[in-house]
Amino acid sequence: MEASCLELALEGERLCKAGDFKGGTAFFEAAVQVGTEDLKTLSAIYSQLGNGYFYLKEYGKALEYHRHDLTLARTIGDRIGEGKASGNLGNTLKVLGRYDEAAVCCQRHLDISQEQGDKVGEARALYNIGNVFHAKGKQQLWGSAQDPGDLPSDVRDTLQRATAFYEMNLSLVKELGDRAAQGRAFGNLGNTHYLLGNFVEAIKFHRERLSIAKEFGDKAAERRAYSNLGNALIFLGQFNAATEYYRKTLQLSRQLKDQVMEAQACYSLGNTYTLLQEYERAIDYHLKHLLIAQELNDRVGEGRACWSLGNAYVSLGNHRQALHYARRHLDISREIGDRNGELTARM
Amino acid sequence: DDPQSSAVATLCSDHFEMEPETMETKSLTDYFNKMHRDVMMGMP
Repeated sequence: MEASCLELALEGERLCKAGDFKGGTAFFEAAVQVGTEDLKTLSAIYSQLGNGYFYLKEYGKALEYHRHDLTLARTIGDRIGEGKASGNLGNTLKVLGRYDEAAVCCQRHLDISQEQGDKVGEARALYNIGNVFHAKGKQQLWGSAQDPGDLPSDVRDTLQRATAFYEMNLSLVKELGDRAAQGRAFGNLGNTHYLLGNFVEAIKFHRERLSIAKEFGDKAAERRAYSNLGNALIFLGQFNAATEYYRKTLQLSRQLKDQVMEAQACYSLGNTYTLLQEYERAIDYHLKHLLIAQELNDRVGEGRACWSLGNAYVSLGNHRQALHYARRHLDISREIGDRNGELTARM
Repeated sequence: DDPQSSAVATLCSDHFEMEPETMETKSLTDYFNKMHRDVMMGMP
């Protein structure tokens, strides 16, 4: 007996809830093939397919399904559903770097939520709009090689708008008693203040984020907070305190078996010990970073590790080792076509 | 570049970590549970 559209979709929903987005989207695709005349069911299937592809980082497909969902929700006059589809479309457009379109979609989600008296939707839309301006500000900063805080006025304006939306979101989720959402707002407020150069404020928000992460036993959020705290403390010149947080980041990355983050923590520790002029320790962490980068076949990371090791060995007066790593850095830069790296290595 | 300024530059450009996006969900289970409840209560 063939499975019905609904049976297939329910299995897709179960798999996605369990985190198996690949399996889940396959069942939803099969459900679409079988088809249904219940347009509300079809809208939910499109929405979940869009989300599944979003988490699989297949953003083109995510965009396609969230668009289908939006059209369908409008056709059946489902205003809340239209708001949700707009919010999801906004998040997807944001990831694709289409910030102006993303802001329009997220604003529509906000308007509909307010019109329907849906406070939860309103809070989520405010957070999503904050995310759009936050990502846009980051992109404007990209390549400008400026320190946090030293910002052109348009970037400052964008980041201040992000901050304003996060603050509105925070005030509403506090009213709703949603602690998990407060954690997310605190974390991103910490990040916008960091970019705006308000490091003391950034630390205050990241500490709040850390506290909520611990309250929920959310180890990934706890690790993020430690890493962000370390980054902000560097700018206050508190290098010893920064190493403490980076160590905790490292410990949690290992616990979570997240090698990319483990490598990042080693790299940050290596650089912080360089700032503390503790070159032996710096070398220790840069070597750990190098090993993980090799394991992950991350040639960019490997090049960075070699560059940092070369510098640390120069500081220790070990010119033989310094030359060894400088040569490796040069070879990797050539191989990956990193012209800047190649020029730096030649110096 | 001396190692100090190189380390500062690297830490300056370090990526900070954003909180995750929140996607809206349209749950089929919730939808059908609600329909079932409505039928039981004789609602249209």
